[in-house]
Amino acid sequence: MRRASVFGMMAVLLLASSHGAANPSGVGSGTFDAQCGGACHGDADMNRSSPATVSVEAPSVAYNGLLTSVSVTVADIQTTANGLLGVFLLSDLTGAGDTPADDGWAILSNSEGGTENYVEARISSGQTEHTVSWTLRAPSIGTYNLHAAVHHGTQDGSEAPFFGSTLSPTVVEVVEVPENLPRLAADFAPPTQVTVGEASEIDLQTEFVNSVTVEWRTVGGESKTVVVQPLGDETWSFTLPPSVQPVVLEWRAHLEGDGPSQTTPWFQVNSDDPSWSVDETTAYAQSLAMLLAATSLFVALQHRRTASELKAYEAELDDVGGEA
Amino acid sequence: MVSSGTLHVVSTEMTVGAFAMAGAAFLLAGLASHGLAGMRRHLTLADHVAHFALAFGLLAMPMAIVTGIQASPGEGVDHPLLINKMLLASTAFGLAFGVLLTRWRQGTAVWQDAWGRRWQALGGMASVGLILTTASIGGTFSRGESLLDMLHLPYEHVPLMPFWLSGLIIAVASANLVLLRRPAQG
Repeated sequence: MRRASVFGMMAVLLLASSHGAANPSGVGSGTFDAQCGGACHGDADMNRSSPATVSVEAPSVAYNGLLTSVSVTVADIQTTANGLLGVFLLSDLTGAGDTPADDGWAILSNSEGGTENYVEARISSGQTEHTVSWTLRAPSIGTYNLHAAVHHGTQDGSEAPFFGSTLSPTVVEVVEVPENLPRLAADFAPPTQVTVGEASEIDLQTEFVNSVTVEWRTVGGESKTVVVQPLGDETWSFTLPPSVQPVVLEWRAHLEGDGPSQTTPWFQVNSDDPSWSVDETTAYAQSLAMLLAATSLFVALQHRRTASELKAYEAELDDVGGEA
Repeated sequence: MVSSGTLHVVSTEMTVGAFAMAGAAFLLAGLASHGLAGMRRHLTLADHVAHFALAFGLLAMPMAIVTGIQASPGEGVDHPLLINKMLLASTAFGLAFGVLLTRWRQGTAVWQDAWGRRWQALGGMASVGLILTTASIGGTFSRGESLLDMLHLPYEHVPLMPFWLSGLIIAVASANLVLLRRPAQG
């Protein structure tokens, strides 16, 4: 009888797991290998094929150590009821050691406001296509493949997770930087976040550049030119206008010098509401206060026995334990 | 190189696992101390398991907290969920420490009288409940969902006291602990 009840309980626990959906609210952006974006248990044998079409757009040639832009477009989108779609940028599809960083690429930003190879986009109802862009610093000289993949659920969450990927890789050849090529300084990192309502002043460091013009736009909008102030020593300054609501701004620079003129990729800047803040000292003090209050309150509650009572009960309990 | 996120998962599972075992053992100890369900003879066993598991959970907790801070995005505690998590974890730590301190000072006599055994079992289970709620907030923060979402707990609201009140509570609680360091006079 006892065995049957234990067996029944184990069976119920094992069967209950099949009614759970893995992370229907997503896991947030992160650096993940293929299929590990919150669904490490959903390997290829357990996934279903996504009906979405995934494509990677990247320049065929990039310069060693310089910035380049790669975008992934997902068409025929199907997502869960809350519209979550996970998009990966990958160096291969083996599922292990396949992030762009594993091939030497460095991600500086993505159009969702992060610096990771996996982003979770929220797709509006009726939207069938979505594009995510990454700005990367190219690795050492060589030929590299770039893949993209997506995963998502269904509207009612009733079926297995869906996984889709590019059918063939996009090949990027990384070559040596030509001498005197106007370019951004190797250590320049574009900002990725600004606060809504605040203008963002950006200082641009360049090499082999005589003049700079900068244009900006909101995603899909018309581009406008901003005034660039030379600060000397190949440093330039310009200001992007403040946004009145959370939005993704894009900017790029046209670099003129003795070498062939260059245009940088579009850099994305995510403007977001001011982050929540609190007086940390007050919070830490309250934390300590609650810790000590809980300890002392409990000790006070149990503080009623005399030393002789404690000894007498120890002996009594030992007797009970001995009989058992 | 193992990321702090992975280490946080490991240390959290150690903490929550230990606390969960302690919670079950405190329930059994509470039943045994009241002589319910024919468990009187298992009181010693349940008592040992409950307090040792609670002590192990407390030892694992600092690592979970440190790796959690390192793994969280942004700088410092800049989200209401993180503040509430810290406050709940502190309270759970304090309560669990009080339960262990009482057991260490009074030995098995904590199960002697009716109120003593009730408070000991309830205190142990309450600290476990607070830890599980803390873990639930972690799930809400990192994955946007948790098992306790069905309770609609107000995680987004931070009940923050003025600094002077926290200072006063720290002073009173510390004085209380010093005054209660010896058994009652009888």
